[in-house]
Amino acid sequence: MKAGLLGKVGIALKKGGVLLDKGGVLAKGVVLVVGMYLFLKFILPLVTAPLPANLIFLYLALAVAGIIIFGTLSSESTEEFFGPIVRFLSGERQTGPMKIARLLVLVLFPLLVGWQTYTNTVPSDAPPAENRTIHPAPPGEFVGLSNPIPNTPENVMMGKGLFAAFCSPCHGGNFDGKGIASKGFDPPPANFVDPGTIAQLQESYLFWRIKKGGVGLPVEGMPWKSAMPRWELELPDEWVWKIIMGEYDGAHQKPRTWE
Amino acid sequence: MNRMNGLGVGMIGGMILSVGIIAPGASVAQESVAVRAALVQGPLPAEDPTAAAWNTASPAEFPMSPQVHWPTRIGEVTVKSVKVRGMHDGTSVAILLEYADPTEDPHDAAALEFMVGDKKAHFAHGQPMAQVEGGPVNIWHWKKANGKILDMNAQGFGTLKAQARQDVKGKGVYQNGTWKVVFSRSLSTGDVEHDVQIKPGEFINIAFAIWDGKKLESGELKESGSQKAVSSWWYFRAEPPPDYSGYLYAVLAIGLAVGFQFVVIRKLKKGRSA
Repeated sequence: MKAGLLGKVGIALKKGGVLLDKGGVLAKGVVLVVGMYLFLKFILPLVTAPLPANLIFLYLALAVAGIIIFGTLSSESTEEFFGPIVRFLSGERQTGPMKIARLLVLVLFPLLVGWQTYTNTVPSDAPPAENRTIHPAPPGEFVGLSNPIPNTPENVMMGKGLFAAFCSPCHGGNFDGKGIASKGFDPPPANFVDPGTIAQLQESYLFWRIKKGGVGLPVEGMPWKSAMPRWELELPDEWVWKIIMGEYDGAHQKPRTWE
Repeated sequence: MNRMNGLGVGMIGGMILSVGIIAPGASVAQESVAVRAALVQGPLPAEDPTAAAWNTASPAEFPMSPQVHWPTRIGEVTVKSVKVRGMHDGTSVAILLEYADPTEDPHDAAALEFMVGDKKAHFAHGQPMAQVEGGPVNIWHWKKANGKILDMNAQGFGTLKAQARQDVKGKGVYQNGTWKVVFSRSLSTGDVEHDVQIKPGEFINIAFAIWDGKKLESGELKESGSQKAVSSWWYFRAEPPPDYSGYLYAVLAIGLAVGFQFVVIRKLKKGRSA
């Protein structure tokens, strides 16, 4: 069964090869370009990262240029290369499928050009794209501070209590950013359980964000959109440090360190 | 056989044509990121929140949060979300808020907020930002108590002040447990320092606030002042007049492509017969 299948594939490949030999430079070129596209688009990503579309386009354009140069080296090969194209487009002595294919090309090409022109000239009606930096650089005075409060069970417990009182309405009793007051705000309150938030940050950074709040962000953090309060106006530093401790413990995360 | 082929060509051609015709019209689905005020002919329902014309405007819906950003905070609010519709006629704009509130109370209120000018303003009354120079906000504040809409400005807490010149009109109607409040104003006013200027085609920021003015047993109001339901910034756009230039350019390009094909094929035929 398996051998039979392999045999059939072999015969098909042979037939294809014969056809290719007959087809000449143009057919080989087309097969090469299509094969290259399939390889770059589908086979290469199996072993490495997918290539960007414009890189694939560049490779194919180079291949096409090479094929045209190769196909037009001599006058005979030029005739062999362009002959089929000329015969196809001029439509002489064509019948059946070829005639229809030619008609299709002649109709589709202008439509494609029209479509491309339309999509490139129509104005966008989407809201402006927002490239908000979620964790922008803190001011110098908030870099490298260490938590002065001893990490004792009592202090962690107290931190969690303060978190429940002041932070959980937005950041959630489960530290997941889904508090009762979270829904109306864009950007949404940070989810501390997500490994992309406090686990990536130092305690010093959290101290800055809690004390200065949303309005303390630099322009790339879009401070005008943030609902985070400026807690330095309401809470003593000691409480802020305890809240940080409670946050890490409750979210089962560890602060980032440079060791 | 030939007829079948002809049919096939027709079908494929038709499919491609229909893709070309449908795709440009199908704009982005109504994501609740922006209120889109359509351009309409004829009078706006500027002071009629129950006008049938509002049914033709597609609503955007935004969730509301209890105000927890600054003291005095509130833990829980009545209104959980607001539906917003808009339309304009090229000179004036009308914006309709619609939200569920189980009781009609004399102190019920709702407000729209916009940034004024090019500077960014914080959604909480344009309060100062540490590293960014902010601008003022323009607030349109409807109160059930006097049935009026106050045109106001703020730039920081405690700075909220009614403008000398009042430009905003509107009306609130309570029906079946729902408030419908319409706000309307001319798209642009001469006062660029205090008023938001709305240019068709441009996305601007908008935020919402709603107060349930129900009287509690203690005699205090359930929500008043900074104790209210709020949203942060979303987008608002007065839609521009339809722009057909894209179609014109496409037709021109098709004409050029057909001409190009014609010239090439004629040349090819001449070359072969020679």
